[in-house]
Amino acid sequence: MSSIDIELVAVTKAYGANRVVDNVSLAIPTGEFVSILGPSGCGKTTTLNMIAGFAVPSTGDIRIRGKSQKDVPPEKRGIGMVFQNYALFPHMTIAENVGFGLKMKGRPAVEIQETVHNALRRVHLDGFERRYPKELSGGQQQRTALARAIAPEPSLLLLDEPLSNLDLKLREAMRVELKDIQEQLGMTFVYVTHDQDEAMAMSDRIVVMQHGVIAQAGRPVDIYEQPGSSFVADFIGKSNLLPIKSIRGDASGWSISVGSAGLVLTADAPDGIEKSAARYCCIRPEAIRLTVSEEDRSTPMNGLKGRLIRIVNLGAYLDCFIMLEDGSVLKSLVRSTRLPALAVNQTVFLSIEPVAVQILTH
Amino acid sequence: MNRFLSILFQSSLLLILAFIALPLVVVFAASVSPTAVISFNPSEWTMKWFGELTSSRWLDPFLLSVKLATIVTFLSGVLGLLAAYAVAYRKCPGHEAIMAFLLSPLAVPQIVKGLAIVLFLSSFGFYHLLGTAGLVMAHVVLTLPFVVRMIAGAMYNFDRRLDQAARILGATAFQRIRFILLPIIKPGLFSGMTFAFILSFNNIPLSVFLVRPGETTLPITVINHMEYSLDPVLAAVNVASLAFILAAIFLFERIGGFSTQIHGGSK
Amino acid sequence: MTSVESLSPPLPARRSLPHISQYLPLVPPAVVLLFVFAIPMGMMISLSFRASEGDAPTLYHYERFFGDGLMLAGLWRTALMSGLVAICVTVMAYPIAYYLARSRSRWRPVVFALAIAPELAGVVLRTYGWLVILEDHGAINATLMWAGILSEPLPLSKNLVGVVIGLTHVVLPFGVLSLLTSIQGIDPNLERAAQILGASRLSVIRRIILPLSIPGIVSSLLIAFTISASAYATPALLGGAGFKVLATMVYEQVLFYIDWPFAAVMAVVLLVMMLTIAFVGGRFEARLHKKLHI
Repeated sequence: MSSIDIELVAVTKAYGANRVVDNVSLAIPTGEFVSILGPSGCGKTTTLNMIAGFAVPSTGDIRIRGKSQKDVPPEKRGIGMVFQNYALFPHMTIAENVGFGLKMKGRPAVEIQETVHNALRRVHLDGFERRYPKELSGGQQQRTALARAIAPEPSLLLLDEPLSNLDLKLREAMRVELKDIQEQLGMTFVYVTHDQDEAMAMSDRIVVMQHGVIAQAGRPVDIYEQPGSSFVADFIGKSNLLPIKSIRGDASGWSISVGSAGLVLTADAPDGIEKSAARYCCIRPEAIRLTVSEEDRSTPMNGLKGRLIRIVNLGAYLDCFIMLEDGSVLKSLVRSTRLPALAVNQTVFLSIEPVAVQILTH
Repeated sequence: MNRFLSILFQSSLLLILAFIALPLVVVFAASVSPTAVISFNPSEWTMKWFGELTSSRWLDPFLLSVKLATIVTFLSGVLGLLAAYAVAYRKCPGHEAIMAFLLSPLAVPQIVKGLAIVLFLSSFGFYHLLGTAGLVMAHVVLTLPFVVRMIAGAMYNFDRRLDQAARILGATAFQRIRFILLPIIKPGLFSGMTFAFILSFNNIPLSVFLVRPGETTLPITVINHMEYSLDPVLAAVNVASLAFILAAIFLFERIGGFSTQIHGGSK
Repeated sequence: MTSVESLSPPLPARRSLPHISQYLPLVPPAVVLLFVFAIPMGMMISLSFRASEGDAPTLYHYERFFGDGLMLAGLWRTALMSGLVAICVTVMAYPIAYYLARSRSRWRPVVFALAIAPELAGVVLRTYGWLVILEDHGAINATLMWAGILSEPLPLSKNLVGVVIGLTHVVLPFGVLSLLTSIQGIDPNLERAAQILGASRLSVIRRIILPLSIPGIVSSLLIAFTISASAYATPALLGGAGFKVLATMVYEQVLFYIDWPFAAVMAVVLLVMMLTIAFVGGRFEARLHKKLHI
């Protein structure tokens, strides 16, 4: 049985009338890599700062390993943090930086030296002990910040968008390294980011925040395949959102009228959603099958006809924009190998499996 | 321990702020006290000392100081603009050395500058230039480096691409200066001019050698008087001067719009 | 399709502005500085090397100055006064600068105004205020004697103590601005990083804030020293007739003794002192930055 490392109990942070974090409750078990994902201003950084102790909740409580952190200052919480701009002490060597936490604990110099050496080795920076932060590249500074945070063996690690200052290739490489280190250490990581690819790639669980509240929390695959709202559907991955006009049907299946020209889609009946509450249909672009001839349709369900109005070549895939008879536009993701057979203004035929038609209430 | 440090910090801060405020409070109180003994009892306060300020004893030097500061501000502004344009905007060859020359008076103490000027004037027999003319020249030398530095700062921050955009749209050099450059550096220009005004109005060390009986500035009149007594009238003069300076700053800010530079930007 | 060769030859490059006109705007300011600053300074320096105007160059007056105990005492007093003021200013400016750099409370603009605004009041207002407070019959002495703590007034004016207090007050805004720039340059995340790694407030101050603000401290000391060493009005008024520093000595030589070459010597000594400190200080600051790896 895994214990709960961090618990947020009805935490609210308000500045005047503005509730930056609004009644958020969350339980994070030991060893989990959880990402807090959301657009700027959603409250994710404030939440992280409250776990660290740099901001105090207006109401609610934060518990670390069951112990309330009220009145516990950051230096007494025994947790680690990696800052967005690394915050390496410029006037200290890499070794002094990484050993700082241990020095504050009063550990003997010999022990510090060895721990620092091991920590640097873990992040592939052996030999860098005597260098100074300003001599290092962005990626090296980032790894130093990580080594410094984990060297004192904290109970958990907070990371505030640590990769956002790196270029794409480096970021993708670092994602793998961070995940590896987390698994090796078995440590709880709380990772704040606005980059959904990052969150999807690294997390055991994603918490999506919007306007200070949790929009949805769950495993990446669950959030992706079953977004709970149009916000989440659009924030994670891309989606086609169609407003629902009316619904007929029963538990074996729904027949949904969308758009203005009598377009009807067949979907599986969703659990726990009343017909009256259903507002949108959400379909992932990769779930829309596109063919040039009517007979090649992979499934007879949800057959649509439209005109291919634009093709955007993304390299390995094509973003295809199809205008339907009623004027609405759908996006379909198609492999680039099919490009020779496609042309703008061509008539195309779409089909969608009913299970891929998600029903959303908001 | 942390709490102790926090309390220590806050009390030190308050003590230091009290130290700063102390002479100001005393002068304000003295200017409204009925006698030379300072009274903090508002019911005793009187404006009679301020009434004496209309006598020519104080009014003449005040008017001279105002006249002087205005002329100096205007001259420094124009000269500073010309200099900064060539050195900071156009960055003419040798601009670094020229800028160093323009800023060199900053390294020289005011009393030394004043001495040099009075020696210069008297050795050529220009005694008649002592008084207003000499003061104007000296104050311009005093304020010019500051003004140049502030305008140059605005010009260094100026986004060249705005000039390029105007050029593509067909504007000539003069049009770009008039419609793009000058409006954008206006805050820098006016904050420089405000600084020059305050520097000139309040100045003492540079001016001590250049004043003449009948043509003295207000601050020098006051310190001459202070050597004899600490008349409450002096307190009133000081307070009135401060009020005048604040009004001048307000006026400059209205025209020049540099308050964002004080608050550090709009966000 | 036309071939490339059929295109007309390239137009000649636009004639760039002749160099001279670039310098035109500089003429008025340069002329002013030349005639009101450079030439007078040159003449003054030249005069210091003559027994009196028009004479042949000689070190006569320099020998006079450096041979006279009173003069040297004045030089020493200038340095001592400036040094004390520099320390007092920096110590007092530090908490204010730290508060202004880090605080986000609504009192910040008030503190900022209070720290900087006295500069607007002018030297005279502040010196007058201090005289009233420090005088033998001034606020402090009157209160202490009335309370029975003193039987005789404490000499707080017309001496070094009064001048240092007054000058500290006058120079404080400059120290605050100088330190403020420096502390603002210290990344606030550094303090948070140290905290999360377990550092107490005292450790954060000792290991992070103070070391990284050393360049600002040095800068504040230098600025305060140079302003104080050239100060005239405050030492003259709060120091009294017996308190001679270089600036008041120059004044005396010009207006009482009418010994202009001697005054020029003192002015040159003061100037050289300023330039040396600025130069040495600048080099020291550069080395500090290197040593702190920032």
